[in-house]
Amino acid sequence: MKNKLAILGTGLVAMASPMFAQGNAASGTPDYRLPAAYIAMGIASGLCGLGQAKAVASSAEAMARNPGATAAIRFALILGLVLIESLALYTLVITFVAK
Amino acid sequence: MEHELWITAPFNRFLSAPANAFLNMVGVRAEDPTHPWANWLAIEIVVVLLTIVLFAFLRSRLSVDRPSKLQHCFELTYEFLRAQAEEVVGHGSRRYLAYFGTVFFFVLFMNLIGIIPTLESPTMFLEVPCGLAVATFIYYNATGLKANGAFGYIKQFLGPMLWLAPVMLPIEIVSHFARPLSLTIRLYANMFAGEQVTNTFLTLVPYFIPSLFMALHVFVSFLQAYIFALLAMIYVGTAVAHEH
Repeated sequence: MKNKLAILGTGLVAMASPMFAQGNAASGTPDYRLPAAYIAMGIASGLCGLGQAKAVASSAEAMARNPGATAAIRFALILGLVLIESLALYTLVITFVAK
Repeated sequence: MEHELWITAPFNRFLSAPANAFLNMVGVRAEDPTHPWANWLAIEIVVVLLTIVLFAFLRSRLSVDRPSKLQHCFELTYEFLRAQAEEVVGHGSRRYLAYFGTVFFFVLFMNLIGIIPTLESPTMFLEVPCGLAVATFIYYNATGLKANGAFGYIKQFLGPMLWLAPVMLPIEIVSHFARPLSLTIRLYANMFAGEQVTNTFLTLVPYFIPSLFMALHVFVSFLQAYIFALLAMIYVGTAVAHEH
């Protein structure tokens, strides 16, 4: 399985060379800003998704264990989700700034 | 400036002279002196006027024995904000509730006015959330200084023990300046991204799908307004906290 993943990863990276065919920022050097922005946004959204999943999972379990505390847990859940979301949004803003 | 909306046109037609005079007073020259009013500023002022009219209308209809539906609606919202402020700030929350409520309703109405087809949310432009965040920053520092005194407030920055102060002070200052930054970017990016996503889907599937994203935008508008007010409450709460 690990061997197949390594081959797949290498193939994907090798196929990605057309992304350098955009306009050049400085003469001669390829412009990495746009691909870097896309990769950064992907990483930020992925990790943010993981963080929010953990928050939702633990709050759902807590609400199932202790239904009387649902209001307090829901408050903590919403606050946590918005704060984690804002981390991914910082990356989105940098994406627009880096254009 | 970019395309002028129908709502900015009266501002630019009738009030361009005062706007240019004000800009000259602070030393800034408008990009296009025939259109000094930005879209977001005109819609912000319209939102303020609409809010004043709405609350004046509510005030005239207040009744103890036969409350109207509008009164019920605002009573629920007020109770929600008051309970939240009391939980976060503690027992002195009543005098700060005016600011929290104002920020909540202002951000909420500004976010929601973008749903109307030919208008756009002022919070979609970076200047507006930045102004709100700076106002909140000034407000919570001012309340902290007033409640704890200048020396007592600065002592909060020094950390739990005095010998930790050289380490704690830069950390506290940076984290305090990160607060308006995060408030700005959170509100701006949520509104801007919501609009961009709706526009993207409008170019892809112009029929039913964009309305789902507009519904999501409504939900996000409420949530972001609530979070802005809640964070303002948390900052004021930590600023006025008395060390017992």
